[in-house]
Amino acid sequence: MTEPDEELRALAAAYALDALDGEELRRFETELARSPELRAEVDGFRAVAAGLGAETPELAPPPSLKAGLFARLGATPQLPPVDAAPPAEPAGAPEPDAAPTTAPAAAPAPMPEPEAPPVDELAARRRRRRLVASLTAAASVAILVIGVVIGIGWSGPNGWGAQRELAALEAAPDAQRQTVEVSGGGEVTVLWSAELGRSAVMADGLPALGSEHDYELWYIDEAGPAPAGLVGANSWRVLEGDFVDGMVVGLTVEPAGGSEQPTTEPIAAVQT
Amino acid sequence: MLGRVSVGEVSSEESSIDVLFARTAGGDRAAFGELYDRTAPRVFGLVRRILVDAAQAEEVTQDVFLEVWQQAARFDASRGAAVAWLLTIAHRRAVDRVRSAQASAERDLRAGIRELATPAEDVEERVELSVEHERVSAALGELSEAQRTALAMAYYEGKSQSEIADALHLPLGTVKTRLRDGMIRLRHLLGVTS
Repeated sequence: MTEPDEELRALAAAYALDALDGEELRRFETELARSPELRAEVDGFRAVAAGLGAETPELAPPPSLKAGLFARLGATPQLPPVDAAPPAEPAGAPEPDAAPTTAPAAAPAPMPEPEAPPVDELAARRRRRRLVASLTAAASVAILVIGVVIGIGWSGPNGWGAQRELAALEAAPDAQRQTVEVSGGGEVTVLWSAELGRSAVMADGLPALGSEHDYELWYIDEAGPAPAGLVGANSWRVLEGDFVDGMVVGLTVEPAGGSEQPTTEPIAAVQT
Repeated sequence: MLGRVSVGEVSSEESSIDVLFARTAGGDRAAFGELYDRTAPRVFGLVRRILVDAAQAEEVTQDVFLEVWQQAARFDASRGAAVAWLLTIAHRRAVDRVRSAQASAERDLRAGIRELATPAEDVEERVELSVEHERVSAALGELSEAQRTALAMAYYEGKSQSEIADALHLPLGTVKTRLRDGMIRLRHLLGVTS
C-alpha cells in the first residue's frame, strides 16, 4: 500500500548483492515484505547479480558431496508451495515469503508426473545417449563375466542364482543403468529395476585392495545406509536386500569382511 | 519476467532446467540428481570463489542444494529464471558463512581485490553460456573502475557496504552510490526489465 520511501528503495541493489547488514537490512526486509514494488525492484537486481554469478568459472565439486547430499534428503522434508503455509522455516527462503495476501497461491507448481509430460528434447536426447553408452559398456562387462563363469555350478555372489537374477534384471522392461567413475580409478555400473526390486553392480578396473580391505556396497535411503554386500575390484554382484526406486547405491572401502555401517566416505554413488 | 535476459539466453538449456525444478518439487529424486549434475559446478564455483576455503565451500554447496530440494515447490518462475534463483540462494548462504566466520582478514589476503581483473579467461567449459558470459563481461567493461571494484567486493567477496567503505577508506555514502549506480548501469546494459 505505502510507497517505499526513497532512501530504502535506493538500497534495493545492495540488498540483491547481499551487501546490507545490521539495522539497514532489517528495515529493508520489513519494507520488502509489504511492498510489491520494492520486490519487483529487487527481483530485477537479483537477475543482474545472477549474471555476475554466472561470470565465475565453473568448478566440479567432489563426488562425495553429492553422495552426502542424497544421504541427507530423507531427513529433509519438502515444503509445500507457498499459500496458507505459515512462515516458519528456519532455513529461510531466498525471500521472506511470508508476505501474506499479496498473491493468494498464485502459481503452485503443476508438478508433472515423471514420465508423462513432454520432457525437454535436448535433455532427453542427452539422457538417451548416456544410457546407450553405459548400456553397451556394461553389457560387455556382464557378458564377459557370464562367459567366464558359465558352466561352473557354484553358488555365491556370482553363482547360477545370481546369474539368473542378473539376466532377469537385464531383461526387465524398466531396467535402467548408470556408469560412474570411481574416485581413485575404474568405474562402476549400476543396473536396477524397481519392478523386480533388485539391482546389480559391475565393477571395472577398480584399484586392487590388499587383504586388509574390501569394496562394500550400500543401499542408502532416508533410513541411512544399509550394507548390500561385497564386490571385487573387477567383478559384479546382485545386491543384497530389496531395491526401491530413489535409493542411492554407494560404494566404500571397508576393513576386510565389510562393516555394518560405512567407515569411510563413498568413492562412488549412483542416484537411482 | 525478470532475469530471462541475463541468465536465460539459452532457452533450451534453461527450459529443461525448469522442468527439472518442477519435477524436483514433486519429490522426483532422479530429476533432482540431474539438476544437481547440471548446476552444481556453477554453484560450487561461485561459492568457492566467495569462501576461498574448499571445505567450507563444500559444506555450503551441500546446504544450498538441500535448500533447493526443500524449497523447490516455492520457486516462482514468473519472478526470474531458475538458475538465477539457485545462484541467489548460493550467494546468500556463502555470504552468511563469510560473515559468520570472522577469519575474513586472512581470507582477504588470499582473495584480494584482483577478482574482477580477470573476467574473461575461463572459456573452456562455458559453451552453453557463452552468449550471456560475453554479454556480462562486456557490460562489466562499461562500468567505471570504481564501480567495478565496489561490485566485485560486494558480490565476489561477500562484503557489506560498510565493510567496503572501511576497506577502501571511503565514506559510506560514496560506496552506496557506486554500488547502486553500477547495478543500475548493468541492469540497463543487460536489458533486464524492472
